Order: sequence, then structure tokens, then C-alpha cells
Amino acid sequence: MRTIALLGQPNSGKSTLFNALTGSHQHVGNWPGKTVERAEGFFTYGEELYRVVDLPGSYGLTANSAEEVVTRTYIEHGYADFVCVIVDASQLERSLYMLADFAGIESPVMLVLNMMDVAEQQGKKIDVQKIEKMLNIPVLGFTASDMGGYPEFFKKLEKAIDSPSKISSEKIRLIVEREGGSERVANLEKLESLIANLKCYNRERFWVASKLLENDSLVRSEVETAVTPEHWNQIKEILDSEGSDGGLLTGEAKYRFVSEILRDASSSCEKSVSLSRFDRIATHRIWGKVAAFFILVITLAVSMMIAVPIIASCFGLQSVAEPLVVKMCESLGWWPAVASFVNSVIIGGLAVTVAMMGFVFAILVTFGLMEDTGYLARSSYVFDSWLSRLGLHGKAFMPLVSGLACTGGAVCGTRVLDTRGQRLFAMVLLWSIPCGSKVAVVLFLASVFFGSAAPLFGVIYVAMIFASFWLSSKLFGNKLMPVNERVGMIMELPPYHKPHWKILLKTVVRNVWAVFKKAILVIWFVSLIFWLISYSKDGNVEHSVLYTIGNAIEPFTQIFGMRWQLFISYIGGIFSKEASLGVMSVVFSSTSDAFSLIARNAAGANLGEMMRAVISIPEALAFIFASMFNIPCVLAMGTTYRETHSLKWMLAIAGYYFAISLGLAFIVYHIALWVL
Amino acid sequence: MCLSEMKENQKGLIQKINGDSRFISRVVSMGLPPSSPFLVLQNDGRSPVLLYSHDTMIAINRKECMQIDVEMA
Repeated sequence: MRTIALLGQPNSGKSTLFNALTGSHQHVGNWPGKTVERAEGFFTYGEELYRVVDLPGSYGLTANSAEEVVTRTYIEHGYADFVCVIVDASQLERSLYMLADFAGIESPVMLVLNMMDVAEQQGKKIDVQKIEKMLNIPVLGFTASDMGGYPEFFKKLEKAIDSPSKISSEKIRLIVEREGGSERVANLEKLESLIANLKCYNRERFWVASKLLENDSLVRSEVETAVTPEHWNQIKEILDSEGSDGGLLTGEAKYRFVSEILRDASSSCEKSVSLSRFDRIATHRIWGKVAAFFILVITLAVSMMIAVPIIASCFGLQSVAEPLVVKMCESLGWWPAVASFVNSVIIGGLAVTVAMMGFVFAILVTFGLMEDTGYLARSSYVFDSWLSRLGLHGKAFMPLVSGLACTGGAVCGTRVLDTRGQRLFAMVLLWSIPCGSKVAVVLFLASVFFGSAAPLFGVIYVAMIFASFWLSSKLFGNKLMPVNERVGMIMELPPYHKPHWKILLKTVVRNVWAVFKKAILVIWFVSLIFWLISYSKDGNVEHSVLYTIGNAIEPFTQIFGMRWQLFISYIGGIFSKEASLGVMSVVFSSTSDAFSLIARNAAGANLGEMMRAVISIPEALAFIFASMFNIPCVLAMGTTYRETHSLKWMLAIAGYYFAISLGLAFIVYHIALWVL
Repeated sequence: MCLSEMKENQKGLIQKINGDSRFISRVVSMGLPPSSPFLVLQNDGRSPVLLYSHDTMIAINRKECMQIDVEMA
């Protein structure tokens, strides 16, 4: 088996190529010991099995973030048998910088000029053969989103692997010597001689020396430990005298190298550039924000419409299947518990999961479209100033807002963020953003107890959400997004592209399926536990394990202002927000519904009256505030688990919100007792 | 002059990037090494500056723009 690494800048179409090559034979996990996502997949061509590693996108090989360190280290140490550098043909000069930065790495390499169709539309002429001749490595011009080009890709790849060729940094060295001035060339030569004994492994000496000159931290620490202290002092002296100019010199030389290659190999017609009318609005300080909000809501709504029939038919099937299961169990003479188990855990869990996948689907389609068309970058641009206060990138805006639709789905949407720290932090924030059902439950409770003052709770709720953002950024911000890694926005706003529907939908369906597989396990598991503790033969809550536990810990939950009935409803709220009202309905009014934490019991019509009669105002306040920051739902737990690839992180976030909601209930309850 | 002082539709050349090596490597790898030509697309005095260079649009925070010396072309 051969390992191929895909190396390219963001927006170069690297992921499109990766998805097209590996299809459903993908595995996404974490890099060992790192909090960076690792995507690899497999494909076969001819008799040979290939492993493809999709390296985190980076603009060059100098590593500043955890993601870039992974990419850089993987390339530098030659972990791949073969490297495929992917560049955007419509922005050749800029994106070939990656290849220039790679020059000097001794791994066999091939260059893929992607998006040739876009380049052609823009009137650019690219002579692929000439570039191949200049670089002396295999070069392929193709379009990753067009399946027709793949036979040629495979042919070229096979040939390139059979007769490997490398790209040398010699030409860049010559440019540095030519442009750098005698003093700096002397410095560079001195650096090279000082590291003469260093083992360069997969790298040319000049590559290491120029990274030193760029003050690259990885190479610096490597050299410091490898050379004698005396040599290191001399090296440091040179680096100090060069200051930050060293990096500018090599950087400029790499671009010069690129433009020398392209001089005769590519041509484009000069055209005047200006901001399009749409971009004038999309990047406007105020209108841009309004536009982003509407575009997001409309796209979500349209994608949701595709999903609604699936959801509806799923609940339809559930209502048909459940009586059948009961009948079957009766005719077979099985215990009623079996029917209850099958209906509430297996079928109920399945129905809830499939229904929730509708939201996941809609959010993934929306975000895929935003990314594919290039609009995502515009919305990030206008919201960056807000989100950077929390340490987040402007890109986090879209996932955070879609949290208002569905927390679990939005957790999947955090994929648009570039670093894992950012993604984890966005998930932490998302759990505090209420979805539609949570808002409905909180406002229902507020209006039951406080009537016309209910809107006030809305205002308090919003203020508390921002307060929780602040708390989360204090607690998690620095750990997940180290301050020294945060930088002001320097971001590309790529040209608009037509979306690649086929690839987009394929990827979304594959991702929804992957989320479903993980979520259903979590939901079944949680349903099973809830079912076990809430089951009673006669449907009377007082005969369930939960009642026994609830009663036993009541002295403790009383501290938070919750009697056993309220505490059970709160726990039901972890399963789903609607469940907490259904549970209340059963435990407070003696309706004929059998008690269950997971059944979709409707809130009884007179639930409000019942509650007002038995629950005191301080208790109501405690419950309302606890509900605001309760764990969103079991799907959010499932998708968070799947997206973080870490049970530990999911439980940590759940524990965090458990603590916040109970802590809040405690404070509110005791203040209310004292005041009233 | 620095990048944030450029007005809309003005063309310029990057002269020098000031800052630590992290910042420099970011700007250089994004496609703006010294002597790159660019065109300012938007500079409203508050939002990040939008400029066009090497076939793409790049947004740079105002604070970071002050660290980039440019000359008019």
C-alpha cells in the first residue's frame, strides 16, 4: 500500500479531490496526541491499494497553528510515499507559493493544477507542458469537480509514482543570491556551514537554512538541540542581525521563482477589477450583516423543506409500528415490558434520530453551499469584529446562528472552522444557544407563572446567554485558542463559484449517514438508561426506580429548589426539551398517560393550571433558569461526540452545563426565597 | 505610508512588512510579499481593508494594515 499526501492551500479544491478519490472509504479521527482532525481514505487503482491523507489546509509550510504543525511535520519528515501538491489554476501565481515552499523537500511529488475550467472562463491560458518542463516534475491540469478528468489523473499518478521526481530548491537559492546583496548572501552561506553536521533527513540543507532565516520555530528548536552551543550562538547572532528581514527575502524569492516559471507558461487578459454590486452589499459593515442573516435563514428554510417529508413519514411510520408491536407481543404472550422497550427505546430512538437528521442535513447542505460558492468568507468578513472578541474566527457566525434552529445540527456545522480548538469552543458556545423547542419550553413556563411578564424572561435569557459566552471564554478560551496563536484577520475572499451540486449532495449524504450511525448509538444508549429507570409495570411513576432515586436525593435537589417531580422533569429535559413538559404533565396531573422520560407525551391542556397550583414561585424560577442552560438534548450529545471524536470532551461540556444550570437554579431559588 | 491610509481604487505596491516572523510568514504566504502589486477595493475607515492582489480578494484587519508599508503605484 502506498501513502499519498494531499498538500494545498485552503480553497484549492483539496477536499473535493480527496472526496472524489476516496468516496465512502474514509476515516476521520484525530492525529495521535494532537487535537487536530485527521482525514484519510483509501482507493484502488489497477491492482494497487492507495492510502490518501488529506493534510490540514495551510498557505505555506511555516507552522503557526496546531493544524499547520501537523501538515508541516508530515511533509518535512517524508511520512508519505508521495506528495500531491494541489493549486488553484485560476490563481496560479499565488497558490504556487505552496510548491515553492515545498521545493527542497526530497519526497517524490506531482503538481495538480485544479479548477482549469475556472481559469479558462477567466480567459487565462496555461501551458501545462511548459510548466512541467520548467519544474521537471509531473504536472496535471484538471478539474476536481468533473469526474471525467479522473482517468487521466490516475494514469498520471501511476506514472509519477513509478518514476519519482523531486523538486529542488536550487533555483530559489540562486534568486536569493542574486537579489539578496552580498552581506545577506554571506549570512546565508554561514548559516549553511554552521548546520553542515545537522541531519537534514528528507530536506535539502538550503531548505533548513532558509526556514532558519525565516525564524521558523520548529527548525529553530531542532537546530538548537542538534548543534554545539558555540555554533548555536553564532547562528543566533546571524538571526538577530537579520531580524524579520530574512523571512521577507526568502518569501520574495519564492514568489520570484513562481513568476519566472509562469512568465512564458501562462497568460491572462488584463481586465479592470472592482467590487461587484453584490459584494458591495455583502461586505458592507451594516448591510452585510443583515444580508448574511437573511441568506442563512432562507437557505436553511429551503433545505429544511427537502427534509420535512422524510421527518413526517418517519413519525407516521412510528405511529403505525407502535400498536403493531403491542399487538404482536400480546399475541405471542410476551411481557408488556418487551413492547414498551421496543416502542420507546428502539423505535422511539430511531424515529427521533431520523427526524433530527433532517436538521443535520439542512445545516450541512446550507454550509456546504456557503463554502462552495465563496459566500461564507464574506459573512465571516462582516462578523469577524464581533466574534474576535471571543477569540473566534468570523466563520463561526453561521454555525452559531444555526444553533437557533437545532443545536445538534449546528454542532456538525462547526466543521467550517479551521482549527479544532475553534471548533470545540464553538460547540461549547452552541450548547448555550437555545433551539426553537428550548425557547418554546422556557417561554411557556414563564408565561404560566408570570403571565404578561414573560417577555422579560426573554430579555434576561438573552443577557444570560451573553454572560455564559463570557464565562465560557474565560474558562475554555485560552486553552482552546491560545492567545499567542490568535491573529487579526488576514483572510482570502475567494471569487464566487457555481456550487458543485453532485459532489456537495454526495458529501452531505455521506456525512449525515456517518452522524446518524454515531448518534443512534448514543440515543439508544441514553434511551435505554432513561427507560430502565423510568419503567414501571403499571405506568405509575411511584413504582419506578427513578421515583426511588428521586425521593432519596430529594433533600439534595431541594437545595436547587427542585422537588422530585421537578428534578425528574429537568432530567427528562436532557433527553429532549419537549420531554420535560411531557414528564411534568404526567407527574403533576394524574393523567392516564403511562410515565416515561422519553415518550412524546403531549403537555396536558390544563398543565399550566396544575403547575400554578402546586409549584411555588421560587421553585418555578429555579426550574425556568435550570431549563435555560440544561443540556440541550441527546442529539446534541451524540453529534458533539461524533464531531469531537472524544467522549471526554462531550462529557466535559455536558458536565459544564449541568453545573451551570444547577448553579443558576440554586442562586435564583435562594434569592427568590429571601426576597419573597 | 501604511496600507490603511490607501483610498478606494488606488493601486499600490507592498514595500515592507513590519512585525514578528509569525505575522510576516502569514502575510507572505497569503500572497502579499514585498513588491506585490495590489488594488484597494474597499476602505471605509472602520471595517478591515479589502484589496485585490494576484487574482484574489484579501481582507486585512485595520490594525494589521498599519504594519504594512506600501507605496502608491
